[in-house]
Amino acid sequence: MPKLLITGIAGGLGRLVAKMARSRWEVIGVDRDPWPSAPDGVVVHQFDMRKRRFEDVFRTERPEAVVHLAFVRHFRSDPATRHEINVEGTKHLLEHCAEYGVRQLVVVSSSYVYGALANNARYMNEEHPLNASRTFPEIRDLCEVEGLVGTFLWRYPEIATSILRPVNTLGHSVHNAIGNYMKIQMVPTVMGFNPMMQFMHAEDLAEAVNVALEKKVRGVYNVAGPGAVPLKRALEEIGRPYFSIPDTVAHTLINTLFSLGIYRFPPGAIDFIKYPCTISDKRFRQATGFRARHTLAEIFASVAP
Amino acid sequence: MNDVIDLLARLGERLHDASTGLTGFVSDLVAEIDEKVDRIPAELNEYGYDPWGYNPAVLKRFILPVAFLYRYYFRCRTRGLENLPEGRVLLIGNHAGQVAFDGLMVMAACILEAEPPRLSRGMGEYWLGTLPFLSILMDRTGSAVGTRQTGVDMLEHGECVMAFPEGVHGMNKLYSDAYKLMEFGLGFMRLGLQTNTPIVPVSIVGSEEQNPGIANLKGIARLLGMPSFPITLTFPWLGPLGMMPLPVRYHIEFGPPILFEGDPEDEDDVIQGKVDEIKAVLQRQLTKGRENRRSVFF
Repeated sequence: MPKLLITGIAGGLGRLVAKMARSRWEVIGVDRDPWPSAPDGVVVHQFDMRKRRFEDVFRTERPEAVVHLAFVRHFRSDPATRHEINVEGTKHLLEHCAEYGVRQLVVVSSSYVYGALANNARYMNEEHPLNASRTFPEIRDLCEVEGLVGTFLWRYPEIATSILRPVNTLGHSVHNAIGNYMKIQMVPTVMGFNPMMQFMHAEDLAEAVNVALEKKVRGVYNVAGPGAVPLKRALEEIGRPYFSIPDTVAHTLINTLFSLGIYRFPPGAIDFIKYPCTISDKRFRQATGFRARHTLAEIFASVAP
Repeated sequence: MNDVIDLLARLGERLHDASTGLTGFVSDLVAEIDEKVDRIPAELNEYGYDPWGYNPAVLKRFILPVAFLYRYYFRCRTRGLENLPEGRVLLIGNHAGQVAFDGLMVMAACILEAEPPRLSRGMGEYWLGTLPFLSILMDRTGSAVGTRQTGVDMLEHGECVMAFPEGVHGMNKLYSDAYKLMEFGLGFMRLGLQTNTPIVPVSIVGSEEQNPGIANLKGIARLLGMPSFPITLTFPWLGPLGMMPLPVRYHIEFGPPILFEGDPEDEDDVIQGKVDEIKAVLQRQLTKGRENRRSVFF
């Protein structure tokens, strides 16, 4: 079987991707954290991707395909470290891919790179500018990553490189910003705003990654789940009580808490619970035939208290 | 519960609830609205929302006070709804009257009098999307912030999209310019060409007299982050109450659909030529409508 290298394999999504890929690939993983219950045949190298050993894995294992998931997606760590892991980490990974004959690369970015703006088109396609940096500088590094991978995509036409931009991903085993937000006991929301939000199940995203590998797609693709509902309706379905605070109060509060380092929720993230950031996944569906299996009800049940 | 239902649609809800105990025209109107909104073609998901956030339950509550205005306050006389083609259509109207009652009346006409009932989906100013409550209400009642992509998606989906290409320049014009069409944006024509959509010109007579503009203080508007700050006989002197329109009679006419052909990405000059054609049709319809009315109020 051909070899598949997964970075960030011990994360919730990494594990799901690995388990699904096992039947078609010999799976190797890299992660700072251990995966004690890794299934048989999955080899996990536990070290920091910024170390030299990372290159050794490429040199010795010679993977045919790479799935890049090792991104810091929360704001608890030092911004410099986050930037280093996300941007420098990707840069090194791309260099190794080019040098050691990787044939296929899938990078999982996020639909957040489009930014949540009041005047966003309701279903943005892949040509939409990445406006996140305008209102949400904390995730500028993801836009930089996209820039690097985009350049790589054109420079190495022989490597099937794809960037996936999935919508809000929920699942029992996945820990991300939106999941954590929706698991707060009393969820704070912004008064007078209730944007349509798209959700997808983590297992569906893992499948989308596998489908991208299988179909050897090349290019940038939005990936979406079964549909959209207003944020507050989603919270009701999940069974989380919420309360609404006026916009100005929310900004002042979050700004203060964030600058004091008490609550690592960047003020720019507020826009994502105010304004729409919904995407069209037409291109991915046409290229791969992918359809999410989990319904909205199943997605909500997966994070219900 | 949505905030929006709590606040903006409270009036509608009260009427809706009260009507269960009432006989006569309120409950009749509620029943009529229920029946008609249910027949609006829409692709709803299992939670009752369409892809753009439209929710019939909210629309039913919202449209009740609007229907009151339509039938008993502005006493709208609507003609030409048989001109509304099935499937995708772009309604292009003249904008006036400081507050967009014109849009609401066209919306009510399409629900109450069109057969089958249609949801006319407004393409709103960017500014509206930043307003609390109003941004939600706009979504739930089927409208959206007007971007090209949203318009294309809706039309390709077979929706009825409504736009006022004069924008705030039309709505907040001074009374001295009444029924003079301001400069039209070109976006709607590119949208129509790209999606091969027939355009129905909708002339609205009456809106100009509902709240005549005396001045527009652009400096104050900029300060408040609003697109304009109109001065009228009653606004801002009476506060929010000053936005209340006079009980003028509305005459709405839906003209025959016009299908334009051409390259949506053509030079502005070329697009402008096509826009001018629509503008001329609309201006003729307006003039005829004004000539035919007996008085502003009756």
